[in-house]
Amino acid sequence: MIEARRAQLPPIARLGDFFLRHVGEIGAMALFLLESFGRIFRSWGQFNKAVRQVYFIGVKSISVITLISLFTGMVIGLQMYYALAKFGADGFLGAAVSLSLVRELGPVLTAIMITGRAGSSMTAEIGVMRISEQVDALQVMDINPVGYLVSPKLAASIICFPILTAFFDLVGIVGGYITGVLLLGGNSGVYWYRVSAYLKMSDITGGFIKSLVFGVVVCTICCYMGYYTHLRRDSVGPEAVSQATTSAVVTSCVLILLADYILTSLLF
Amino acid sequence: MTQQTTTDIRLEGLTIGYGEHAVVSNIDAVLPGDKISVILGGSGCGKSTLLKHILRLHPVLAGRIVIGGHDLTSLDRRGMHCLRQRMGVLFQDGALLGSLTLGDNVALPLREHTKLPEKAVRERVLAKLGLVGLADFYDYYPNELSGGMRKRAGLARAMVMDPPLLFCDEPTSGLDPVTAAELDQLLLELKRSFDMTLVVVSHDLNSMRAIADHVLVLGSGKVLFQGSLAELDATQDEYLRRFLDRQAAERNSPRLTMPPLDFKLMKRDCSGYLGE
Repeated sequence: MIEARRAQLPPIARLGDFFLRHVGEIGAMALFLLESFGRIFRSWGQFNKAVRQVYFIGVKSISVITLISLFTGMVIGLQMYYALAKFGADGFLGAAVSLSLVRELGPVLTAIMITGRAGSSMTAEIGVMRISEQVDALQVMDINPVGYLVSPKLAASIICFPILTAFFDLVGIVGGYITGVLLLGGNSGVYWYRVSAYLKMSDITGGFIKSLVFGVVVCTICCYMGYYTHLRRDSVGPEAVSQATTSAVVTSCVLILLADYILTSLLF
Repeated sequence: MTQQTTTDIRLEGLTIGYGEHAVVSNIDAVLPGDKISVILGGSGCGKSTLLKHILRLHPVLAGRIVIGGHDLTSLDRRGMHCLRQRMGVLFQDGALLGSLTLGDNVALPLREHTKLPEKAVRERVLAKLGLVGLADFYDYYPNELSGGMRKRAGLARAMVMDPPLLFCDEPTSGLDPVTAAELDQLLLELKRSFDMTLVVVSHDLNSMRAIADHVLVLGSGKVLFQGSLAELDATQDEYLRRFLDRQAAERNSPRLTMPPLDFKLMKRDCSGYLGE
């Protein structure tokens, strides 16, 4: 009925309706984030749930993060070595690899990888719970579903994203070393010296701030999409869960890149 | 006139639905306390919707829902917390949390709302699981159980806080007749033993006859009947009589007058299999 009424609106009014709906949704997401953040510290029981989520989001992501970061570092090492060698600056490979990883690629790629691995499953898990009335069951048992389902995931994301990012950076720099030094014959001492000399504390903290923001964004988007699966207009039931999962991953990835641009402008 | 009890549920001028779309409009009804009330009606008539609104899972469009003198539509958050802890709900498929064992599912409200030590929680959970015949399944996950067992486990969870009010959404749907009769028997025993108020949403006539003290029939977006089982049986309302006698409405079905599908039009030649 609402859709039919919407279709009858003149184009300008439809545009206004589109913006109003999206602004409303952003507001709803902000409230959802505030509520889930506020409930992190409500009870000691949340700690156990958060630990379980740290295992799921963090520990189980280590293998995929290791693989991605190693090959990312190796590719950067390879590309940078040839580019720098053209100017006789191949000694700066360590600085180029470490700066690009710590400031940009580490936080962004880690967040995108966790979105694909853990974020999608957060949406699917909460979405399935929603359509099978498990969320309703929590509500009638007077257990706040946001506090029970979302807050531990948010706490775990805040803990895991920076740690996994640091791990990504570390393995990536080793990847750069493998190609730049071990395979292409660069100088090992120079590589590590440039890494330590050019990498400032502000670069590291900037990367961590980014990863923290990405953690909050990814967790909020993924849990929000799952939590409101039943309100989707494009589909219902299991199809709504699959649509919500797809939307969550796509929206998270877009917002990661958008937030990355804004944070880079502000931080560096 | 029936005597009012603390667990009477009064629906006053209630209009419910989703968004702007009203499913049931302007109903006035009383589900008496300390009795088993069955909300009856055909598929899609708004029975489960009414139950979800009584549980305040959705906001009402108009009117009031009064439970034990408390108006749910204007109750503050604290009042709602207290009321919810005094209600038990059995959802259609049990709605057990898939990531928890049966024992943890039943223990969940106790762990969240009481200061009971873990040993006492376990004892209590085992007692409630024993009540529904599932004491040996404490460590099983919901997906390892049959539909009937999941419903019984859901009932154990609904009962674990000893609520004076128990709501059941289609407790016998999807169950074989024997299991359905067992579940009805269980609800009657619970009512007798704990003197509870039960509100059961159902379209199962056999189940309704087995358990109902009071019946509320919904249809066409309104209340078609409310009263005792004997009063319902004596009704002369045409729709209700058809419903109770399980008679299909007369219609000229186009399906029966259509020519049969020509097998020669099948994309794959399946001649020789169950027909031409």
